[in-house]
Amino acid sequence: MDSTSVGVVPGTLEMLVLKTLALEPMHAYGISLRIVQITEGAFNVNPGSLLPALTRMERAKHVKGEWRATENNRRAKYYVLTPLGQKALESETDAWGRQVAAITRILKA
Amino acid sequence: MFKNLLLGSKALLNREKRNSELEEELQAYIRDSIEAKLLNGLSREDAERETRIEVGSLDSVKHKVWKAGWESTVDTIGGDAKYTFRRLARSPWLALTIALSLGLGVAANATVFSLVRKFILSPTPFGHSETLTTIYVIPDKANCCSKASLPLYRDIRDQAKSFDGVSAWFELLPASLGGDGDPERVWGQAATTNFFDVAKLQMPLGRGFISQEEHAQVIVLGYQLWKTRFSGDPQIVGKTVTLSGHLFTVVGVAPRNFRGMDQLLDPQFWVPLSNATSLYPYVRDPERRAQAWLRIAARLKEGVTLASAGSEMAQLAQRFALAHQDTDKGERFLFEPAGSLAPGDKRGMKFLLLAFSIVAFLVLCIACANISNLLLAQGAQRKREMAIRLALGATRIQLLRQLMFENICLALMGGAIGAAVSIWATAKLSSFRLPISLPVDLSVGVDWRVLLYTFALSLLASLIFGFLPAWNASRPIMPNALKGEDMLAKPGTKWSVRSALVVFQVTLSLILLCASGLFLRSLERATKIDVGFRANEVLFMGINPQLHAYTAAKTVRLLRTVRDRIAHLPGVISVTTTDEVPLSILHAARSNQIMPMTAEHPLSSRIVDLYMIGPQYFETLGIPVLAGRGLGEESPDGPKVAVVNEEFVRTVLHGANALGATVKDGDLPYEIVGIVKNAKSKTLGEDPQPVLYRSLSQTAAAFPSYDGYKFMIRYKGDAAGLSQAVRKAILTTDSTLAIFDTATMEEHLQDALFMPKLVGTFFICFGLVGLVLASIGLYAVISFSVSRRTKEIGIRMALGARPDAVQRMIVGWGMRLAAASVALGLPVALLAARFSASLLYGLKPYDFITFTVVPTFLLLISLLACWIPSRSAARVSPMVALRVD
Repeated sequence: MDSTSVGVVPGTLEMLVLKTLALEPMHAYGISLRIVQITEGAFNVNPGSLLPALTRMERAKHVKGEWRATENNRRAKYYVLTPLGQKALESETDAWGRQVAAITRILKA
Repeated sequence: MFKNLLLGSKALLNREKRNSELEEELQAYIRDSIEAKLLNGLSREDAERETRIEVGSLDSVKHKVWKAGWESTVDTIGGDAKYTFRRLARSPWLALTIALSLGLGVAANATVFSLVRKFILSPTPFGHSETLTTIYVIPDKANCCSKASLPLYRDIRDQAKSFDGVSAWFELLPASLGGDGDPERVWGQAATTNFFDVAKLQMPLGRGFISQEEHAQVIVLGYQLWKTRFSGDPQIVGKTVTLSGHLFTVVGVAPRNFRGMDQLLDPQFWVPLSNATSLYPYVRDPERRAQAWLRIAARLKEGVTLASAGSEMAQLAQRFALAHQDTDKGERFLFEPAGSLAPGDKRGMKFLLLAFSIVAFLVLCIACANISNLLLAQGAQRKREMAIRLALGATRIQLLRQLMFENICLALMGGAIGAAVSIWATAKLSSFRLPISLPVDLSVGVDWRVLLYTFALSLLASLIFGFLPAWNASRPIMPNALKGEDMLAKPGTKWSVRSALVVFQVTLSLILLCASGLFLRSLERATKIDVGFRANEVLFMGINPQLHAYTAAKTVRLLRTVRDRIAHLPGVISVTTTDEVPLSILHAARSNQIMPMTAEHPLSSRIVDLYMIGPQYFETLGIPVLAGRGLGEESPDGPKVAVVNEEFVRTVLHGANALGATVKDGDLPYEIVGIVKNAKSKTLGEDPQPVLYRSLSQTAAAFPSYDGYKFMIRYKGDAAGLSQAVRKAILTTDSTLAIFDTATMEEHLQDALFMPKLVGTFFICFGLVGLVLASIGLYAVISFSVSRRTKEIGIRMALGARPDAVQRMIVGWGMRLAAASVALGLPVALLAARFSASLLYGLKPYDFITFTVVPTFLLLISLLACWIPSRSAARVSPMVALRVD
């Protein structure tokens, strides 16, 4: 594991998960792997935070969990983005963009 | 939201499935992770190790997932509850004592609150009660309130622009209700036809009056009368009823809680105002402006405030004063919310309720001190348990939460006990009777507001007073507590919070007990008050012939006929008639215009009570005639004669030779033919009142009695049998007469003790509750200190202390607390006694006996409360005690 890897920025995990699921339904390990890969190991996500987050998102109807067979024919719980989740992703992305822009302006000022 | 709830409850109900799914998901995650690492070229061992590091503790992950949903909170609370019940069940006596303390304290307050609700916060059954107001007239130079005359009412109705409607009524109209069964005396009101419209009432049956019915013989029945007398007949509207011999057509039934616009009265029917004079001859000259006999209520116009209506009424008062110099000069008006107590009654009631509230609050304070004390003691004993739980990873917040949960459970138990006790207490309270025959509603009860108050109060009390002990218990001093040595944490502190609490509660209970003692002595004095007449073996029974179209002459003849019949009954010694039985509080006939014949104006402003009596009055009541004679069958047309009492001679005639003298009431002369000893007239507590006894046969025509006439019979033998015989004697003479107010004089005296009995019962109950609570507190503290000092006592014993010396030491410490409480409480109790002076009968507030007996009694009880737990100290065996952990 990369020694520079850190946890995700607080409060953004759900957004990252939503974004990941926007591509295709995935199971928990897949989500975690995808986040590590895309961030090139900068963020790592462990099940201790991912699974509670998924439970919360499932409750909020942002994702929907389904048991499916994997490519190597095992059972896994896949999470599917719901329309509500799609909306949440858009609004969170917007908010995030504004926050980053604001922070950047402050840092550059 | 709904789905969240659904999923949550599913997870809660189906915990197994939820866990196995989670387990499977986690396993899949780990498997995938290991496989990915194997593909990256790690050995299986390394891959597994790295995955374990990444994932961390499986249980911790599961716990985090579980905590993500709301159901986990429910789950924890469930766990807390289970634990709480187990704990409470393990020390049921402690739980019961706390709940009982709380329950008694809360019940005292709930009972007082039910009185407050009834008399101060009572709900009004009127529509839009905020715009309905009653109007009192305050005559010139008077402090408070009087009624209004018919012309004054008309002036207000026609001239005031602030109101949508102004209604007036005669508030106490007696009538005799005929029809099926025995005729019955009922009380009602005669009201203007807009009465029900101004009150905006929803009539459950029929309607109120309409404006054309001003002179019609129509009647609205009260709900209670409709239910009892007419068994709730749904077809009642349109039927006729006989009221004092007149036929009235029923047009409606009033709502269940409607008792007119007054709070205490309980009228049972309403008729249009013009019927008042025909139904009841007591109302004479209804058109005279000086005859104040009506109450007024008004409905404010929309947008008009009470203040602006008040200033309009003030202008009107000035206008009336100019127009009617002799009657309306200096007159003012006063608004009171409809359905409230009359301003005159309100002050006394508020004083009484305030006194009761303070006392109830003191009881609650004692109870709360008890709760704190018991919980503190229990918390100290549980320090080890708490320390172990902390050591096993519980957080302080969790401990605190669980302890507070216990408090809530105790509060609910206390609330339930409190509610039960206050239901019982209000039922008892409602059974008090006033010694008057007016229809007064004094019933109190427990409704949802009182229940809510009860539970809220007990919850509040236990949360406030349970918090400190819980806080304390949740932070044990770890190393000591684990070893069970918390008791050594602060050696040598004797004066703890607990001792202070005990001193506090014993002090309060001393104050309460002193008050109880005072009122008990006052009640004892009141029962021994010399009423001036012999009350045993006297029976009375009332009729009101005026309600049956009797003229004065016919009434006098009827009374004599019935008297003759009664006199011949077996067991009757003598019989007489009067307009009012003594000690009936509201004596109707009084005069301030009585003076010697030669005087121009009455010399003193003393009000003289006027009685109308028949022959043998003084023999029947056993009032000694000091000079002259009593009254006999006086000729109605002869010169008016009267008998006076000593107080009359002293205050009105200033000790002059009374016998044969003539006095006048206004212009009416009376020749004094006899002087009798003083007897109590209106109330037991009063100072001697001047009384003028007039002859009934000479006065009935000019001054008809307000509430009929009573036969008073001195008898020998069985009262119940005689009562039946007298009833028969009356009904044989005229079977349509309604008979009321049947009682023996002794029963009447018991009712006359209403006030001292009410106050006495109240204080004694509260005082005893306070005493019990305080002794429990003392007992608990002593027994706790004994258990805490077991080791110390063991060492003392091992060094040669004798058991009785040890016991003396323990008792001595407890008694020091009790003595300190007496020293603190006695001055406060003496101070408080000064305020109770107005409620005491024939007793000085600084009553020597009360203030010596009560503290002694309290110290004795304290001694007992200390002695019982101290026995276990004497039984300590040094060998065992030194091995105590």
